[in-house]
Amino acid sequence: MSESVPGPAPEVFAPHKAPVSPPQASEEVEFVQLLTPEGERVEHPDYSFDLDDEAIKSFYRDMTLVRRIDTEATALQRQGELGLWASLLGQEAAQIGSGRALNSKDMVFPTYREHGVAWCQGVNPLNLLGLFRGVDQGAWDPKDNNFHLYTIVIGAQTLHATGYAMGQQRDHAIGDAENGEATIAYFGDGASSQGDVNEAFIWASVFNAPVVCFCQNNQWAISEPIDRQTRIPLYQRAAGFGFPGVRVDGNDVLATYAVTQQALKRAREGSGPTLIEAYTYRMGAHTTSDDPTKYRLNEDLEHWKLKDPIGRVHAYLARHAGVDHDFFDEIEAEADKVAAELRAGCLALPDPVLTDFFQNVYVEETPQLAEQRDQFAAYAASFEGEG
Amino acid sequence: MTKITLGKAINAGLRAAMEADPKVVVMGEDIGKLGGVFRVTEGLQKDFGEDRVIDTPLAESGIIGTAVGLALRGYRPVCEIQFDGFVFPAYDQIINQVAKMHYRSMGKIRMPLVIRIPYGGGIGAVEHHSESPETLFAHVPGLKVVSCGDPVDAYWMIQQAITSDDPVVFFEPKRRYHEKAELDESVPPTQPLHQAKVVREGTDATLLCYGPMVKTCVQAAEAAVEDGRQLEVIDLRTISPLDLQTIFASVRKTRRAVVVHEAPLSLGPGSEIAARITEECFYHLEAPVLRVTGYDTPYPPSRMEDDYLPDLDRVLDGVDRVMGY
Amino acid sequence: MGIQQFRLPDVGEGLVEAEIVSWKVKPGDTVKLNDTVVEIETAKSLVELPVPFAGVISELLVPEGETVPVGTPIIAVQTESAGEEPLADDLVPTVPEPEDDKGGRTAVLVGYGPKTTEAKRRARKAPAASAASAASASSATSAAPTASAGSAAAPAQVATGAPGGAAPAASPALQAPAAAATAPAVPTGDVAGGNSAAVHVLAKPPVRKLAKDLGIDLATVNATGPGGIITRADVEGHAAAPAAAEPAAAYQPAPVVSGQGDTRVPVKGVQKVMAQAMVASAFTAPHVTEWITVDVSATMELVERLKGDRAFRDLRVSPLLIVAKAVTLAARRTPIINAAWDEQAQEIVYKGAVNLGIAAATPRGLIVPNIKSADSLTLPELCRALNDLVATAREGKTQPADQAGGSFTITNVGVFGVDAGTPIINPGEAAILAFGAVRKQPWVVDDEIVPRWITTLALSFDHRLIDGEKGSTFLADVASILEDPARALMF
Repeated sequence: MSESVPGPAPEVFAPHKAPVSPPQASEEVEFVQLLTPEGERVEHPDYSFDLDDEAIKSFYRDMTLVRRIDTEATALQRQGELGLWASLLGQEAAQIGSGRALNSKDMVFPTYREHGVAWCQGVNPLNLLGLFRGVDQGAWDPKDNNFHLYTIVIGAQTLHATGYAMGQQRDHAIGDAENGEATIAYFGDGASSQGDVNEAFIWASVFNAPVVCFCQNNQWAISEPIDRQTRIPLYQRAAGFGFPGVRVDGNDVLATYAVTQQALKRAREGSGPTLIEAYTYRMGAHTTSDDPTKYRLNEDLEHWKLKDPIGRVHAYLARHAGVDHDFFDEIEAEADKVAAELRAGCLALPDPVLTDFFQNVYVEETPQLAEQRDQFAAYAASFEGEG
Repeated sequence: MTKITLGKAINAGLRAAMEADPKVVVMGEDIGKLGGVFRVTEGLQKDFGEDRVIDTPLAESGIIGTAVGLALRGYRPVCEIQFDGFVFPAYDQIINQVAKMHYRSMGKIRMPLVIRIPYGGGIGAVEHHSESPETLFAHVPGLKVVSCGDPVDAYWMIQQAITSDDPVVFFEPKRRYHEKAELDESVPPTQPLHQAKVVREGTDATLLCYGPMVKTCVQAAEAAVEDGRQLEVIDLRTISPLDLQTIFASVRKTRRAVVVHEAPLSLGPGSEIAARITEECFYHLEAPVLRVTGYDTPYPPSRMEDDYLPDLDRVLDGVDRVMGY
Repeated sequence: MGIQQFRLPDVGEGLVEAEIVSWKVKPGDTVKLNDTVVEIETAKSLVELPVPFAGVISELLVPEGETVPVGTPIIAVQTESAGEEPLADDLVPTVPEPEDDKGGRTAVLVGYGPKTTEAKRRARKAPAASAASAASASSATSAAPTASAGSAAAPAQVATGAPGGAAPAASPALQAPAAAATAPAVPTGDVAGGNSAAVHVLAKPPVRKLAKDLGIDLATVNATGPGGIITRADVEGHAAAPAAAEPAAAYQPAPVVSGQGDTRVPVKGVQKVMAQAMVASAFTAPHVTEWITVDVSATMELVERLKGDRAFRDLRVSPLLIVAKAVTLAARRTPIINAAWDEQAQEIVYKGAVNLGIAAATPRGLIVPNIKSADSLTLPELCRALNDLVATAREGKTQPADQAGGSFTITNVGVFGVDAGTPIINPGEAAILAFGAVRKQPWVVDDEIVPRWITTLALSFDHRLIDGEKGSTFLADVASILEDPARALMF
């Protein structure tokens, strides 16, 4: 698992250097891997993937559909249908692998990029679009899918997750590795610098909360590279707070699944938090308003394309699981269908009405707010062409 | 019927709330074993256990953030921020998460938190221990802000805040923690949480106040009798939402209003009250709404705080001015 | 099926316009949904745009190298049959034209970007609708006038509401809903400093200042504003009235100088109020006027005797006193004469007392103060009340409260030497009696013509509640008492 002794400190660097490339994954980084970029199964002393090829095929389907949803949403933004989209391109394995390890009672606290985990939890992808289109701020009910709303304030959700986990403890839902509950908090490499995330680590550790802290280190926080967030590998932070940390190849869906599954088991049985650093790469921009060509090199992108999470599963299935092109074509066709449905659904999303939102401010509305709403309604109706 | 201090009244109210609902948990720094730096939570951990009375790490954002998570899990957290001046690390969680979660989720999620904050000056403290930041919360849609002014209100209002499904920032006037009053717990409260109270009837002018200034204004009103003036004193009790009906009824009767609070003048709660009164009682007013408040400086070193804080003389000076129109 | 246009969207790059850098397709090419068709350059970088529909490129609408604003159609595509691509025109990216109301947007990092709207007002609906909605939108507790309150306030209307339950018996047309919103007047005796009088008034600050500067007590100013608010005009009108008392008969003559053209005098103050009241009354209550000519010689004798009576030592006794008394007595037999028609409640309100109004000419115009519970006063008390009423009116000091709550009015046209008329009922009442001049006229007594003191009484009444029989009975009863005061013992 983890090493508690950090490696040699990197050279002190001048802060105003030109755009910095992150370290190349294959040369320097140690992590848990069970499926190579070429699609070959490998072993690890501490983790194994114990499901069958059917499971791997279903992971392939998940990742392909999720990527297609993501691509479609990006196109919709480019066509003016969404104000913004945060793409998960390149991070499919990290999200599907961890998402599929959750049981029906585990609770998820995402950031705003976990469309793949939403998929695993059964959230309708169309529900994710509303907040990017500006018709709502989160359309699904967290209780329906055990998937909290997207949190835009960086890192804030890690405290929510920790508190929720403390609630699970108080409900005596912890103690049984098979039937217990856990919470998983997603956050990025940039978020790991936030005070709230570090406070969450403190609380999780001193209260031994059943929360898996899943960090997708996609190497970038908008334009700032990972070495502006940390001098040591992120997973080693956990040692400082007193709980285990592990780095996994975030582009390896099998390894991510295995590592997350074990961490969830630990949490469910009452052994407390784990920090998982999923080492991956943000292939797209931070959001559709971002221009990555300004701060990173094309070579990096090309380098990481060779490590594509879906490509390696495709290679494995074709070469070692006897899966033929019919299966892949089916998935492509399904992807097209899902994308078309998403597009149609997006275009049909009704515009919200401001008067309807006054009632959402409080459970018990105040007289002043009711009056204000009525005044607004009267004002809005006073224009020609209105009701 | 017992004579009880304001601090002990809150303690009793917390106890009653915790007995009534097993989902109520109390959390904050030093509130468990120590019973809180003002002893407001004394005895609770012994009786309700560490799972429900939680000594937290020294991390205000963490207190509120984890309380959000507990609320999502169905609990009703009562958070203590040890002193007014230390609420700011938690301000992001309060403003961006606690206040907005119900709206963000279009009503699906409730945040039935209570955030207890001892506030106000007059206790000879060092920096950051005498603030009045209530307007910074009252300005935020999604929060409710109240302050008790006497022990009986303290006992009932803390319970009402806990049973409210909306997040309530509960400001406790720390310099009044040791004020005493008779409390009969068997007599149910006469008022809902978000209603003001006419503490003293009068005809010449209305004093509008809350928290620590209620006692000051009552004393001022008693002294004003010598000046031949009958002042009406209203304990606002709720700053957001304001109980406008009670305020307007009084001002329409007396025609003159003076708002009194420790918080600095500019953009303090008095500003909102003055605007509302002017809008709705325009034709009744004999004078503009005046405000007697702290000055627009950071809270001063304690040797000067008596000059900074509104006292009986400053309140009556304000009354003189409002009567002079 | 058909041609669909793709308009240049804002792509979140600070885009208000963009340059078409290079087309990736040409007319005739077949494209799938989301195929990249063009590369555009924004202020910051190159962006590829995916086409939002599948089909065959029919036309490139903007040449390479040209810069166009957001919303400009840049490419036309002949789309396939509707089955696969369920996109109607209204589902095409709804990027507004720059000249749209919503205007173009400058995108920023986290959203659509700020709008650049035109500096032009949207058209509002007709004022009636908006006034109604404004009225409904204003706070229910506001004492401010609402549009529906109307500005009519009869002389009997009181700015603050008369204490003692004599609610303004306004005719239906004059119901002021805002009255409900005014604070109940709580006259407190023990005020000190600042508050003017025990009666609370409604006035906005500049008006209060004006009154203060002019040394006018707002409690004495008649309020004509909605909801009983004292307006600036009210204060000015009060101040403009000459302070000196005039003989009751003399109005200020209008300045008319022949040959110098028309003179215009703005309608305001008491004049305006009177006009509104008269209109409301005359066109709401069906007026019937009956008159009777009476030999009041016995009354005149009685008046002379009373003048020497100790009980009336420092009082002014006049025939009007006896008329007043007669009215209160006759009302016992015909109580409906002292009632009112409540249109809104569809009820006839029999008043609990006779609040006897006496129309008075003052320097500022006609007012009708009333004597409360005149029916319960002894003759000397009634005399004193009459004297006070007239004196107060002459000095221009009649309080609004004195004018409220009347139930019957006597108008003494006789002081002008006029015999009779068709008086208009005071709003809120059901009848009015005009008392004409008393003069010596030939009369038939025992078949002989003798000079007697003769007067005419003219009674106008509201025929909704008072019929001819009742009106006539009352009038005859009043006349009979004046003819033979001993008949008062019959009532």
